[in-house]
Amino acid sequence: MKTSLFSRIVIALTAFASLAMFAWPLLIESSGADESRVAQTVFIVLMPLLLVVVLVEFASGGLDSKQLALLGVLTALNAVIRILGAGTSGIETAFFLIIIGAFVFGSGFGFLLGSGSLLVSALLMGGVGPWLPFQMMAAGLIGLVAGLLPKPKSRWLELLALVAFAIVGAFVYGALMTLWNWPFLAGVGTDISYLPGASLGENLLRFFKYESLTGGLLWDTGRAITTSVLILLTAPALLATLKRAASRAGISRKAS
Amino acid sequence: MIEFVNLTFGYRGAESPVVSRANFKLAAGEFTLVCGPTGSGKSTLLKLFNGLAPHFTGGNLQGRIRFSGVDVTGRKPHELAELVGYVNQQPEGSFVADTVAEELAYGLEQLGATPAAMESKIQEYAELAGIAHLLEAPLSSLSGGQQQRVAIAAAMAAGQKILVLDEPTSALDPLAAEELVTLLARLSKQQGITVLLAEHRLERVLEYVDSVIVVNGDGSVVKSAPRDAFNNYRLLPPVVEFSKRVGIEPTALTINEAKLASVKPLAFTGLEASISGELAISVENLEVTYGKTEAIRGVSLKVHAGEVVALMGDNGSGKSSLLWAIQGSGQRTSGSVWSAKGDPAKLSVIERLGAVTLVPQRASDLLFLNTLAEELAESDRFNDVSPGETAKLFLQLSNRTDPKQHPRDLSAGQQLALVLAVQLVKGAPMVLLDEPTRGLDYEAKRHLARAIEKLKASGRSVLLASHDVEFVAQLADRIYLLEAGLVKTTGTASELLGFGGVLPTQVAQITEQPGLLLAEQVIAG
Amino acid sequence: MPVNPFRASALHPATWWFLGLALAAIASLSSDIAVELGVIAAAVFVMLTCREHAPWSRSVRFYLWIGAFVVSVRVLFRIIFNSSNPADAIAFSLVPIDLAGIHLLGDVTWQTLESAAADGLRLAAIVIAIGMANTLANPKRLLKSTPGALYEVATAMTVAINLAPQLIESLQRVRKARSLRGRSKGISALSSIVIPALEDTIEQSLGMAASMDARGFGRRGNLTTAQLATSRALSLGGILLISFATYFLLASNSQSLAIWLLVTGVLAIALTIRIASRRNLRTRFRRQKPGKKDTLVAAISLAAVILVVVL
Repeated sequence: MKTSLFSRIVIALTAFASLAMFAWPLLIESSGADESRVAQTVFIVLMPLLLVVVLVEFASGGLDSKQLALLGVLTALNAVIRILGAGTSGIETAFFLIIIGAFVFGSGFGFLLGSGSLLVSALLMGGVGPWLPFQMMAAGLIGLVAGLLPKPKSRWLELLALVAFAIVGAFVYGALMTLWNWPFLAGVGTDISYLPGASLGENLLRFFKYESLTGGLLWDTGRAITTSVLILLTAPALLATLKRAASRAGISRKAS
Repeated sequence: MIEFVNLTFGYRGAESPVVSRANFKLAAGEFTLVCGPTGSGKSTLLKLFNGLAPHFTGGNLQGRIRFSGVDVTGRKPHELAELVGYVNQQPEGSFVADTVAEELAYGLEQLGATPAAMESKIQEYAELAGIAHLLEAPLSSLSGGQQQRVAIAAAMAAGQKILVLDEPTSALDPLAAEELVTLLARLSKQQGITVLLAEHRLERVLEYVDSVIVVNGDGSVVKSAPRDAFNNYRLLPPVVEFSKRVGIEPTALTINEAKLASVKPLAFTGLEASISGELAISVENLEVTYGKTEAIRGVSLKVHAGEVVALMGDNGSGKSSLLWAIQGSGQRTSGSVWSAKGDPAKLSVIERLGAVTLVPQRASDLLFLNTLAEELAESDRFNDVSPGETAKLFLQLSNRTDPKQHPRDLSAGQQLALVLAVQLVKGAPMVLLDEPTRGLDYEAKRHLARAIEKLKASGRSVLLASHDVEFVAQLADRIYLLEAGLVKTTGTASELLGFGGVLPTQVAQITEQPGLLLAEQVIAG
Repeated sequence: MPVNPFRASALHPATWWFLGLALAAIASLSSDIAVELGVIAAAVFVMLTCREHAPWSRSVRFYLWIGAFVVSVRVLFRIIFNSSNPADAIAFSLVPIDLAGIHLLGDVTWQTLESAAADGLRLAAIVIAIGMANTLANPKRLLKSTPGALYEVATAMTVAINLAPQLIESLQRVRKARSLRGRSKGISALSSIVIPALEDTIEQSLGMAASMDARGFGRRGNLTTAQLATSRALSLGGILLISFATYFLLASNSQSLAIWLLVTGVLAIALTIRIASRRNLRTRFRRQKPGKKDTLVAAISLAAVILVVVL
């Protein structure tokens, strides 16, 4: 899919704004509890809109029937794997396919695959809540960046790049989602809650305490390990299959 | 109506074009059969009609295509959507919607029809295709034949005057296929729709078509009258083969024509049922129940060494369930299976491979590596045989192919040969084949028949499920006819597929001579 | 048996979402435990009486669990990371622990417990209200009502929802077939099961794509230069406004300005989507139109929200 320069600018701005909506507890200057509540509510309402903006911009380049069909297939597969893998705690199976799919089909496809996978699995098994747009945005951004990874010629380097990104991506996704549920679960007023109006450093420290004390880091490590292992196990076969599909569907990312 | 002028089309990177300088015209209401061996370019030719080639498939196009005098060369599929309806091989995979009515509406939605127009068109075409009573049904609840009718109605619902179908009968049983072809004939005769049908089971359609386009695979595309089409054609349907052998002039294309030629009683070689060796497998009172569905309701059968036994019966009569139950990994509710190495269900997975092997309906389900060579090598490793063993077996069953090819790019016949080789390398004396001729053309079927004969000669026994009467007549020593999970009748091929049998072959129907089933049996003279 | 006139499929899916979001808004605006409990009770009642048999209707319990989880985590957090005002009435006392500057446990006041429970219940009510909408609204019908600019994306999602059960079936079929070739189970067999199923589904989906194209998919109108320019200006402007608004929301003392910027930005984006949807030439078959019942439910929801705001 071709994304115009204009669309890219809009997407970049939207991504930037959405990051602020994840990280607002770190950034908020006003110290009133009401302001925090307003900000939280507004962002919950706004995030779906930002998602729509990005989706419209990616689709405006024209999603042809083959790309659409492949997007449907991979989204379905990812949702199915996620549903089958659910219940096994600490195992997060949604990411390896997003990363591999985005790597083969590019960043626009990656965003759609990332956000779509979480949407479809949530629709099918329940799991739609105020968190969903945030999860979709975060997973979409992971896909978007995975689509921008350099494409080395050597197979080993390719695998290395994927695994390295999987580890970083797992922690980034974890940090983003913890940032989101931090004010949601911890509220204000405890020693590990965010402190409205405090300095960035102070709040980062509190965030780190929250993340480690609530087991978030452990969870992220689990996600990083599962995703890397799944990539190592399936990437050789999946990459071949998807590259073949990409060339048949006429979607190709240039090798760098 | 349709005119191809000097049309040449080839895929990028291919050495020679698939279609080279094709020139032909099709009239309104003409019913044309497109035939040719697998991989010869039938599908590609059909895709040229609505722009899927080159716009969907990629490739280079030269020459002109005109519809009613208007040059439409180079138009995109969606620009031709009002003119050409297109139905591809697997309807169940190409549905976009949930229910029949929504599926029929899809094209109308894309073309911007008003809601009222949609309702009336949907009703009209559903009635035409005989699916009006199914409009609100979910697509997944339909039978294969019904699904194909839905696909046809959906392709025509916007009033398309040209209908292009790519092997629509390949997954249907003979009755459903027959019904589909008569529907197409009716559409062309009564509605004046130009129908192009690609099909490799020529015997199903020859009596209905007005003309035949032969795609040879070397780029030549020749249109002619049905009778002239087979003068230089390698793959002849049984009726044509027969009428050539006994010298009917002009060549008979249908059973009725051949009958009218009133052939005198012929000399023919008998079909010998092979002398049975030792008992290879014995099934006693097998029952299989899935939930409340009784798939198999007490079947007993025996297969001997060096014997080919066929299971016949309509889709849903229990053929597959029976094979899987015998192999041991399928469900069994009661009954017993005996083989020389014990009940396969009680053997370990590895031991079972040495006793009985099953090739499922979709052979490709067993293929997961990236090249043919990798698949062959993996099989050697896993089955613990010396390197190259599987490859040797594969070459016995198939012609030579590039080992670097992706298994999914092999033809259906080659995929089947590959899976057979992988499954047989452990040396199982008993081979179960589930609907092996599905999707194969005459050539590939001939290859498969030869492979089965080799297995038989080596003393292995083969139990195959099939509804391909001509293929079974060629190979089977004995036949079990299943109906609703029970053995309805059993006997030799001559008894069941010969004159007076339950499923007579075409030649049996023509000659009405007991014991004469196949054109090859006739002694010319 | 009488049929519930307000059963899930009798209303437009958007109506359920409207009701769900209205309940969520009420919960979010109030900080009264009784109101939150009322919202939860209403959502659960509607969920249980209106739902029908559909895969997405089976998760009532899931949402209740999440609700309970949120409340208990909030309360537990307040007890463990205690910061009660010592002047208030004490509910119970735990041995205080000092861990690297973080004060744990200690005297827990009623006031702390109450405010933690109220906060938790507010969030639980939001979760359950949105869960109610998801339980009752048919996602496929909802996807059909998306604006034209999102048609392709919505189609891909519908395809995915339709394919998911098929994929599970073909994964099971391949897994069964694998046993014929005698392979091991477990994680190392993953690609040998996923690959054939994926190859099959890709094959099928490309067939579907061809059949979509052949039936007219891909027809799009063109926007005039003026329309294109307007839409671009609006979307860029809208996103910039939202970015500024986000900044002002977080900066001190400028939230009212932020809200105005936001409203303008959101309007600009909505207009862009409208313009982009003009490229869509398709019509919709049996598009479900909101009826009297929908108006009724929407009116009641709106009235309830206004009531809460006024009071």
